Amino acid sequence: MPSGLRLMVVKEVKDLLRDPKILVGMIIFPALLLPLMGAAINVATSSTIEKASGNLTVYVVDDDKGPFSEALLSYFIANNVEVKTLLGPPQESAKGLGGGDVLIYIPQGASGNLTSGSRTGMLMFVNFKSFSLVEFIVSGRIDSILSVFEGELVKRTISEGMPGRDAGEVLDPITVEYESIVKGEAFPLSPAVLQSTVKMQTMMGPIVIMLVLILAMQIAATSIAIEKEAKTLETLLTVPVSRLSILFGKLAGSVSVALLATVANVLAFTYYIGAVLGTAGIGAGDLGEAAAKLAPAPEGYLILGLSIFGALISALAIALTLGTLAQDVRGAQSIIGVAILPVFLPAVFLMIGDISTLPSAFQAALYLIPFTYPALASQALFTGDYGMSLFGLAYMALFTLGMLYIAARIFSTERIMTARITLKARRME
Amino acid sequence: MPPVVVLKDLVKEYSKRRAVDGVSLEIGEGEIFGLIGPNGAGKTTTLRMIATIIKPTSGEVVVCGRDAVREASAVRKLISYLPEEAGAYPNLSGKEYLKFMASFYYEREEDAATAVEEGERISGLGDRLKERSSAYSKGMKRRLQLARALMVKPKLAILDEPTSGLDVTHAFHLRRIIKEYAERHGITVLLSSHNMLEVQNLCDRVAFMNEGRVVEIGPPGGLMAKYGVATLEEAFMKVVGFA
Ligand SMILES: Nc1ncnc2c1ncn2[C@@H]1O[C@H](COP(=O)(O)OP(=O)(O)OP(=O)(O)O)[C@@H](O)[C@H]1O
Ligand SMILES: [Mg+2]
Repeated sequence: MPSGLRLMVVKEVKDLLRDPKILVGMIIFPALLLPLMGAAINVATSSTIEKASGNLTVYVVDDDKGPFSEALLSYFIANNVEVKTLLGPPQESAKGLGGGDVLIYIPQGASGNLTSGSRTGMLMFVNFKSFSLVEFIVSGRIDSILSVFEGELVKRTISEGMPGRDAGEVLDPITVEYESIVKGEAFPLSPAVLQSTVKMQTMMGPIVIMLVLILAMQIAATSIAIEKEAKTLETLLTVPVSRLSILFGKLAGSVSVALLATVANVLAFTYYIGAVLGTAGIGAGDLGEAAAKLAPAPEGYLILGLSIFGALISALAIALTLGTLAQDVRGAQSIIGVAILPVFLPAVFLMIGDISTLPSAFQAALYLIPFTYPALASQALFTGDYGMSLFGLAYMALFTLGMLYIAARIFSTERIMTARITLKARRME
Repeated sequence: MPPVVVLKDLVKEYSKRRAVDGVSLEIGEGEIFGLIGPNGAGKTTTLRMIATIIKPTSGEVVVCGRDAVREASAVRKLISYLPEEAGAYPNLSGKEYLKFMASFYYEREEDAATAVEEGERISGLGDRLKERSSAYSKGMKRRLQLARALMVKPKLAILDEPTSGLDVTHAFHLRRIIKEYAERHGITVLLSSHNMLEVQNLCDRVAFMNEGRVVEIGPPGGLMAKYGVATLEEAFMKVVGFA
């Protein structure tokens, strides 16, 4: 490495890492925030589950007082639900209950309806006070106990009406089994399970990629504006170091800090996902097995890694180029605010759908944007179709070189000192 | 001895305005040369062209026989430039800043270290050099900048208003350092200033600039004698036609 370049890189990294805004805002804060959020959700969900799975109580106003209500109440008790009988109009009683409490009203004549074969109406009151998860879960559990009870009633009726037949088979005479064919191989998975597996992994990719891209672009775009604002650029342009070294120093500096921030973010993100999924009880069992079976090939990860790196460098090249035109840090930030849009667009498109289903004008536009390719590569992990990703690598390399050429041209001219492009209105002098 | 700086018909035009309008002059080795003139006279623009930051619209800048446009990187090795408004990297200490800047000029680390020691001495900041430069006062920052510009012992030091914003004692101290340095190391100094008294005491020769042109040039004493006045200020006023 030429010594001028080395000096620039060392200085950039030192300067960036010592900047409290970058250190706290881009590395420490996200690294702490996500695990803290995960832990908070973790604590919240586990306490919710504890509460919701604790002893259930159901309040009952029983105007039937017949075999039906007796059977229902003893079914509740058999399922560890405490039954508290109340008197008087059910609506009034329900209003006096606590949040999440459930009151069931069994009207007069319910038992009679049952034996005569007509339908019985019941009323369920749920008292909402805080709209917390617990309130919803409790009523849901009472509901499901009720439907199991109903199922039992149905089965008994079927058995009585059709002796010798299995009630379960009468109710569910067709079963469907699934074989999902992926990369030419069949897996005994339903599309629903497959979708949740793939979605979880393809979503994580773009989210992390976007985080990194945005961070890196901000660092790169403002790095020259910061020198302008700190009045260090004018001096730097007169010392014996090539313009290109200054530019590459900035690029390398923002890449290193971005990578550091990425590592911090990815670790935090992984922990966060683990914490959230862990308590929700997803991720184990079926899904984990499916994910293992679908594990992408190593070359897929290599291509994904290269695509991310390519997009990162392309983004930095754009940001640097635009940043050279900005008058000050605020100007650079507003320029980047607009330039970040193309980073989001492909991610949004690709999260929703398949690029090949879009109108061809849209497709062409997406293929022109370098940030499309990491998203494509992360889909290719599962499809094994690397063609477009490989093309993307070549395209991003060309794109970056083109951008850097423009940046170097701007940087080699005096535009760097005289350019005055800002997106905000002219300031009062 | 060939001149250190040669300007020939130097012109700089911005979109509408002619900031520098046909400046020609020569500065000899070891000279302390002052550019004086009112706000907007074109002093900074002239210095920036010599410092290879901006390119002349027409005309020539030659530093030690090298063309400042075609051989800009060769010129950069010969000069050091103190901009009118200069800052250091706020997250680096004063000493780190000097080290960083010195390393560009020397192949060998020992040479850079010697230059940094020299810079520490010139700055007179002592232990405060260990602090981040964001904690410095305006005067301290200016002293750090001057130290940075002189420590590498350039053939030509270009100083744009070196004492601007400094109090009387600090300005005095700075002027003494400039003079000492020029004499001891044979450094040629080209500086700009609004302060006529400063220029009168410090410079071997001065050029009066007004509206992009050099309107008079000569040693301070000679100019005062020529216009029959006691101060450079009065001479300047006579030249530009205000008195
Ligand atoms: N980047 C620029 N774009 C357009 N005009 C400029 C630019 N820089 C300087 N000028 C104009 O050129 C003229 C000379 O400016 P310059 O900064 O050289 O003056 P100066 O003699 O250094 O003044 P001062 O004593 O105030 O520092 C001024 O009219 C100024 O407005
Ligand atoms: Mg000026």
